[in-house]
Amino acid sequence: MSKKPKKSTAEEKTKPRQKKTGPKTEGPRIGVFVCQCGSNIASIIDVDALTKYAQTMPNVVHAESMSYPCSRQGQEAIVAAIKNNKLDRVVVAGCSPRLYEPTFQSCVSRAELNPWLFEMANIREFTSYCNQTSPEEANEKAKDTVRMAVAKARLLEPLKPIELPITKKVMVIGGGIAGINAALDLADMGFKVYMVEKSETIGGVMALLDKTFPTLDCSICIEGPKMVDVGRHPNIEIISYADVLKVEGYVGNFNVKIRKNPRYVIAANCTGCGECRDACPIEYPNYADMYLGARKAISIPFGQAVPLTHTINRDYCIECYKCVDACGAREAINFDQKPEEIDVNVGAIVVTVGYSMYDPKDLTWTGYGKFSNVFTAMEFERLILAAGPTGGKVIRASDSQKPHSVAFMQCVGSRDINKYEYCSGFCCMYTLKHSVMLKEKYRDAIDVYVLYNDMRSNFKGYEEFFNRAQKSGVKFIRVKLENRRITEDPQTKNLTVCAEAEDGKTVSVHAEMVVLANAAIPAPAAGELAKILNIPLDKDGFFIECQPKIRPTDTAVPGIFLAGACQGLKDIPYSVAQGSAAAAQAASVLGKNTWTVEPLVARVNEDQCSGCRVCESACGYQAIKVEKTGEKSVAKVTEGLCRGCGICSSACPMDAVTMPNYSDCQIVAQIQAVMKKGSTKT
Amino acid sequence: MPFQRLKRDTAEELCLEWIMQVKNYKLDLDKNRCVGCQICSLACPKEAIRIEKQPKVIGEKTLKAKVDVALSKCNFCGICDISCPYGAISVTVDGKHLLSVLDKESFPRLIRDVKADASKFPVDPDKSENVCPINLIKVQYSTPAGKLVEDPRSLSRSELNALKVKVEVDKEHCPCCGICEVKLPQGAMNVRRIFSGKLAIKRENCPEGCTDCLDICPITGALYLSDIDKKVHENEAFCVYCGACKIVCPVDKALDFKRTRIHHTTVRSGAWNKALERLTSPTDMTKELKAKRSLRARESVKKRMGLKEEQHV
Repeated sequence: MSKKPKKSTAEEKTKPRQKKTGPKTEGPRIGVFVCQCGSNIASIIDVDALTKYAQTMPNVVHAESMSYPCSRQGQEAIVAAIKNNKLDRVVVAGCSPRLYEPTFQSCVSRAELNPWLFEMANIREFTSYCNQTSPEEANEKAKDTVRMAVAKARLLEPLKPIELPITKKVMVIGGGIAGINAALDLADMGFKVYMVEKSETIGGVMALLDKTFPTLDCSICIEGPKMVDVGRHPNIEIISYADVLKVEGYVGNFNVKIRKNPRYVIAANCTGCGECRDACPIEYPNYADMYLGARKAISIPFGQAVPLTHTINRDYCIECYKCVDACGAREAINFDQKPEEIDVNVGAIVVTVGYSMYDPKDLTWTGYGKFSNVFTAMEFERLILAAGPTGGKVIRASDSQKPHSVAFMQCVGSRDINKYEYCSGFCCMYTLKHSVMLKEKYRDAIDVYVLYNDMRSNFKGYEEFFNRAQKSGVKFIRVKLENRRITEDPQTKNLTVCAEAEDGKTVSVHAEMVVLANAAIPAPAAGELAKILNIPLDKDGFFIECQPKIRPTDTAVPGIFLAGACQGLKDIPYSVAQGSAAAAQAASVLGKNTWTVEPLVARVNEDQCSGCRVCESACGYQAIKVEKTGEKSVAKVTEGLCRGCGICSSACPMDAVTMPNYSDCQIVAQIQAVMKKGSTKT
Repeated sequence: MPFQRLKRDTAEELCLEWIMQVKNYKLDLDKNRCVGCQICSLACPKEAIRIEKQPKVIGEKTLKAKVDVALSKCNFCGICDISCPYGAISVTVDGKHLLSVLDKESFPRLIRDVKADASKFPVDPDKSENVCPINLIKVQYSTPAGKLVEDPRSLSRSELNALKVKVEVDKEHCPCCGICEVKLPQGAMNVRRIFSGKLAIKRENCPEGCTDCLDICPITGALYLSDIDKKVHENEAFCVYCGACKIVCPVDKALDFKRTRIHHTTVRSGAWNKALERLTSPTDMTKELKAKRSLRARESVKKRMGLKEEQHV
């Protein structure tokens, strides 16, 4: 039957097919194709009997069975059958429409048939797979399924895909290293990028680090130029010190409301000279220094900040206006600045809000917050940083002396079912970095211990770095994660770390300083942002990607993409790579002129609609809204937002909302078909 | 070590602290020196200081109001330290009493214009040191040979005349009441008030037998109980206008109190203008601003005139 497709196409070209006005005499002409799926279906279902049964159904003018309709030959056979038999409806009885409906839709459209005049009957997952022990009943069920599909196919109507316009702009939320890469890539492709950053400067955590593993490159020396590039790029607009308040719309057409928080400094006038900072008498603890040091009430958090615009912290400012005098003719300071709300339209959104660090104060065994010489890793990072509050001197908090021994404690809060079950991922590597830096700087003048449970040094160059740490004389002690304890000598403020070794023996290490590898946790703003963007978070609070293996940067919402540690903890190279990946994904949306949406969205019969708003409250996607048009208020569907779930349709008391190809008469026909068991007359 | 904010409140002192690894900010309130006036809370730019009136126990002396500083609001600027007339608050950075607001001229110093002329001091500790109601004057006597004399009253007249007198006044804690000026021989002390103002007791409004204001007034003599009407009378000559009396006064209209001027170094600062407005009144603040403005105008005119004259020459 499928052996002569060429002849038939040649025939058909001369007189193009007209779907509805063909030479039919008694309604639609339906073709049924029964898939054997190798032996997946055929081993249980008698496909020949099913095909014969299908032939007996009204309007079915053609039925055949084939081993793989989805294969190239199979598809060609379907095209040929459509043309030869002048079919205007096609039913494939095979697997789940989730898998192959798009394939067959494009197949029938090659035969110049509207792709929505195609229906699929699932006789694999619903029938052969789940009824392996009772083939007789399975065969009956297969017949029912095909009968239902044919009943629906009879009533199918041709639809047109919906084309939506695309705004060729993109918003990147979060200016860390992942966001910077995504923004630069997109801007270089020619798209306008809005980079929205919560804090005063872009740069994220990477801007606060001293060195990066495993190469020990200076962190800000790598990131700084990129931050400057972002600041200078003609296609990038940094909206810093700002919050995303609301995101409305859909892929290609997002409308974002952003609140720019007042810096009390006019960015356009501020040259970043810092004269105001010198005149300011007030200081407060600097978050960028992990509160080890202070910054002025008008200042930037660190020297490489982008933008270099200063910010006044009104929580601490005494309003002496010395900064105003110092700024003078530049007139950059404005104490009357108010929060400003702006709206931007974008076609795609890349979320890169990063992570934050767990405060281990509530883990009492660590003594953090109680013993002055217990530090977190980020605090240690700021201590060892030359531009940090101590000028790069690693000193104890109790006596400002250089310690002669430092113990690093791994897995504090992470890999702990009572705190954070997951592994933070990069702590092993930054601990290696800290220990190598200490050992290579002070050599034999310092003893460095690392109390670890598992050393996770997978990825390029990491294991070699572990070896380098071992060679440099760092002492690695493998301990269990349970029953660890840190105690302090109240006189000397020296610390003793006790833990249980693998063999059950107690290990105790005396150290003058202890550094905790505390867990990395989701960014505090992630929860709120997830609600605004309508993207789910996982149990730990990280954003859920669409598919963990093959779609790691997509979200459940088309047009919104993820990159960096907000999706799951990752180190710099992987954040950078994911930033570029998300940029490419966003570009695949922005690069199109229109976005095609399946036409299976709700339709409102405006004459029937009473404007009662029942549909509005039923819709989970804010896709249907009652609007005033002329005299009457009627429901309007935003096609880009509608997912075709049909809730509005069933909720509507006036029967004014219909779902194309899931209309009441189609569903009733299917129900009637399944009720008339054993009969072919439907 | 994480950044810590600490607060300790004992009977003797209230202590607030910010501990950063490389910087330490500390505020100490000496509760013995504090009189419970309102000046620090009015001067504070962050509204971090609250004055709590203590409940009165019948039959006992009124207690001075309690000062509380909110740790969440305090930014350790030291303005309370500068404005306390009794020097009860001390703000230090890394243990040093160096205030940035003074350095950067964001807030003025109160001028405690207290001059002592030791040569005019009586050679009697009872009549010299003890005149100060809050014991801020220390007098030392020594022989011409330089030997310290503990009790000069045992010496002969000729020996007394030869004694050297050294006077030290603890200016930091002096509210400049001027009692010493009156009680010591003329010219021994010269005191100029920090605050000017007005204090008048409307005795017709005073509750019967109430001496609350007198109970807490730290300056002996500024308020006194009259033998005639058994009511508290004021003596404005000694009043320092701290306003502690106004805080404890149980009725509204009994005490007519206001500050009008503050003796301070010149600064140009919004923080000071605001403090001044609260410590005095909007009118008095405007007066000072006008005076400053006309002073500046006069100076600039003088400068220009000077230039012109030179050009003429």
